[in-house]
Amino acid sequence: MKKLNKIFALALALTLLLSLLVTASAEGFRTLDEIKASGKLVIGLFSDKKPFGYIDETGEYQGYDVYLARRLAEDLGVTLEPVSLDAPNRIEFLQSFKVDIVLANFTYTEERATQVDFALPYMKVALGVVSPDSALITEPEQLNGKTLIVSKGTTAETFFEKNYPEVKLAKYDSYTEAYIALLDGRGDALSTDNTEVLAWAIENPGFTVGIESLGSLDTINPAVSKGNETLLAWINEEIVKLGAEKFFHADYEATLRETYGANADADSLVVEGGEL
Amino acid sequence: MDVAFILAHVPDYLSGAFVTLRFGLYGVGCSLVLGLLCCLLRYFRVPVLRQIAGGYIELARNTPLLVQLFFLYAGLPRVGIRFSAEACAVIGLTFLGGAYMAEAFRSGIESVDKAQVEAGACIGLTRGQNIRYVIFPQALATAVPALFANVIFLIKETSVFSVLAMMDLMNVADTLRTSGGRTTEVLFMLVAAYLLILLPVSVLATLVERRLRYAGFGNQHSV
Amino acid sequence: MQDLGISILFKGVNFQRLMGGLWVTLRLALITIGLSCLFGLLFGMLMLSRRKIAHIFCRIWLEIVRFMPQLVLLYIVYFGFARLFGWDLDGETSAVIVFTFWGTAEMGDLIRGALTSIPRHQTESAAALGLKKSQIYLHVLIPQTMRRLLPQAINLSTRIIKTTALVKMINVTEVLKVGQQIIGQFYRQPDAAFWVYFVIFLLYFLVCWPFSLLARRLEKRWA
Repeated sequence: MKKLNKIFALALALTLLLSLLVTASAEGFRTLDEIKASGKLVIGLFSDKKPFGYIDETGEYQGYDVYLARRLAEDLGVTLEPVSLDAPNRIEFLQSFKVDIVLANFTYTEERATQVDFALPYMKVALGVVSPDSALITEPEQLNGKTLIVSKGTTAETFFEKNYPEVKLAKYDSYTEAYIALLDGRGDALSTDNTEVLAWAIENPGFTVGIESLGSLDTINPAVSKGNETLLAWINEEIVKLGAEKFFHADYEATLRETYGANADADSLVVEGGEL
Repeated sequence: MDVAFILAHVPDYLSGAFVTLRFGLYGVGCSLVLGLLCCLLRYFRVPVLRQIAGGYIELARNTPLLVQLFFLYAGLPRVGIRFSAEACAVIGLTFLGGAYMAEAFRSGIESVDKAQVEAGACIGLTRGQNIRYVIFPQALATAVPALFANVIFLIKETSVFSVLAMMDLMNVADTLRTSGGRTTEVLFMLVAAYLLILLPVSVLATLVERRLRYAGFGNQHSV
Repeated sequence: MQDLGISILFKGVNFQRLMGGLWVTLRLALITIGLSCLFGLLFGMLMLSRRKIAHIFCRIWLEIVRFMPQLVLLYIVYFGFARLFGWDLDGETSAVIVFTFWGTAEMGDLIRGALTSIPRHQTESAAALGLKKSQIYLHVLIPQTMRRLLPQAINLSTRIIKTTALVKMINVTEVLKVGQQIIGQFYRQPDAAFWVYFVIFLLYFLVCWPFSLLARRLEKRWA
């Protein structure tokens, strides 16, 4: 009898302790001052989406988005703490305050804007479709009845679901899995941002981007948790300021020029100073 | 609790449950066959094949299904061996399940008292008759609880099939969650769906165990 | 292209990062095993209590563990609790909670089985020989409990290590994700995925297999 009471008491105490620990960690987003005080800026980045966000063999993050991430941390006077995420988790990471900013090639959509706050754009993008040379897809209608590979949580997924319901979608959790699926012939084509599929097609002979621009011309913007006004305002100031020094053109030269080649036009992709 | 949402998505969950159950049962069926085969190979000490069976069991029992599936689905095609998503699901589940079933069968066979085998030989049964009328029923009675536990385990393991881009129960729930929220309702339906699948299996297991209990009475060490 | 695909794993710090990813899951498994032993002991004793309410409590816990795939429980804790209670749990904390929940139930069951399998006459004989209660525990009960418990506890630990691979599905950067990051570096290497997933498969085997062998040897020695 005494032993049992002790067990119950211990169990109860542990449960209370656990719930205390857990509720203590449920905070809100970090304001600009809190970030400066903590000495680190937590940014969500892709870790397997070359050349926009990936990890090189020295273990460092590299890419067009990462270049901006590093500059933001530097200008704020704090260290960058990168957090790896995949397309379906971007909104959720901001809503649960796991990161301060998401710089994971995040396309602005009105629907997403109801759940997170977007800053000024830094890149132009539309959808593209890449397929094998032997069975090139040049029109979206050709995909009706065929299988299209998409990554979960991307604009490609929503676009095809809404506009081309006859297309069978094979959805994967990460870009790596999606590309391997295309290489293995698990789908007839793959669709995501055209900037991305173009880069991939260049590096993978045997595949071509048959549809270079599908859907509306969108932008890629940094995103913060809803309501984080101080951080949002600061990012917007930064982007305008960086426009004056042509930062994003330098970013393009440093991270994308090698992939797209000497003849590619940086202005087709870059948005300087937040102005289209 | 948004009941309208729940009712609207019941068809999605039904199709997901159908995929889970279908490939889960294919995997279970093949596992039983493979498990029995491996067990018999080791029991009759067939040279070479016995060691292969033993090695396979070690490999399958010490690696997670998720890792096996990634290797089958995304790794092997890079060297030319390509299976469809559905085939990978069944192969992966069979690879894992066969080892567990083999162990269950082995514990069943080992539990049969040697005296029973000898008694069977004494009264003039051939080896085949001995196995069929004496050893097997008793072995099965002991093995059945473990076998059914493995069936439930394997059906639960199907929850990782989403990495094969198959629209099983987990993938249906995950897609609904990422595309619109309503997390509570989505998870509630997921739990309900798995209960609806697994409870009948568990009830079936109890019924079968009860009916087979008679076979174990000859073996004073069982039950 | 003369480069063998496996060489990408040895470029730069790739292999160290892969091992780091493995350590993430191993660390989670170790924490889970430790907590499960602790809580499992309490759970086992609770299962033996005479109070009806304790039985009902344990029964509900066991049934949840029995019928829900671990991945579903992970989703409920990681995604569901965030919406329902506003708890901000990261992937690793959710994993420890869920796996400890599961591990406690299994360990408790093992402990209960081990405790009840020791015949009462052991305690009675020890008392008859004049041993005090504490001496009975130390020299008679606990060693025998340990012998029945340890092989099965080691098997459970192996299963926990395998199950922690599931954290990939809730955004934890573990060995499979690091593997994918490595594959993402080398578009021009056609068989990268094969080698990376094969090595991960091998790594899990090399970690779990020694434990399986140990459990088997202990079981043989102490049976």
